[in-house]
Amino acid sequence: MDELPPAPAVAGTSLDGTKIFTISVEENAALCRSTGVEPATDGSAHPIYYYIATQVAMGKTVAGVCETCEFDVDDGPMMGSSGVRFTKPLMVGESYKVSGEILSLVRKQSRKLGVMDVLTYRLRLHPAAGGEALLETDNVWVLPRKELAA
Amino acid sequence: MSYSAGDALTPFVVDSVSPDAMRDWSVFLADPNPIHLDVDVVKAKGLGDKRINQGPINVAYMMNMLLAAVPGSRIEAMDSRFLDNVYEGDHLTASGTITAVDGNRLTCEFKLDVAGRGTVNSGTATLII
Repeated sequence: MDELPPAPAVAGTSLDGTKIFTISVEENAALCRSTGVEPATDGSAHPIYYYIATQVAMGKTVAGVCETCEFDVDDGPMMGSSGVRFTKPLMVGESYKVSGEILSLVRKQSRKLGVMDVLTYRLRLHPAAGGEALLETDNVWVLPRKELAA
Repeated sequence: MSYSAGDALTPFVVDSVSPDAMRDWSVFLADPNPIHLDVDVVKAKGLGDKRINQGPINVAYMMNMLLAAVPGSRIEAMDSRFLDNVYEGDHLTASGTITAVDGNRLTCEFKLDVAGRGTVNSGTATLII
């Protein structure tokens, strides 16, 4: 079998954001109810905002991250896994900003998917005013490389 | 309330995955990917004949299960693996088991099952009680 060309060298690419993400009372309530629960009464936001806030306020869109990886978002990136470590709960009415970076892009041959690149990136959510991160999340995406199929 | 390794967590059930929720989440996520919104696009891409739920909603269902099963707790850590898609109309059950208790920390395994298709998401979490 021919050796695969290497994946683009994107490790270290900054995903620091400039947007400020605020969790509104109204959106948190709508989000909670869309998943079948009522919003918390202690001011905490639904913890899934770890994903939403970091994804929306990171320095690139999903399409932009894919473009950095020389991958067309229309080719269908797939979520592989998502992990999070909280040091504090997210609160309704609070504003946050994101820092982060691409950790790796690894090319693999899969029996099921053919050639694919496995993208891992790390994002941190900080108070908008600055300070230590409230959470850190690692997301893994699978980018199927149809153009490299045998 | 006391907890022990081996305790089952009370399941969280979604009777039928709603395409209306997918539309709402396309706004929450600022992601208008049409596979969550338009059946014709799903068909054209060869991904089936139903709209596909956004992955983070499935994580939210499992978070709901964890937080409802252990009242007053908060999630300290959570790792989820996406194994298969969830489609509109799917009947879901999020369930889990406590695997260890260490002071005020509970470690749990969890999964999300689709009726008739099996597990589509699984992982581990640590709760602070």
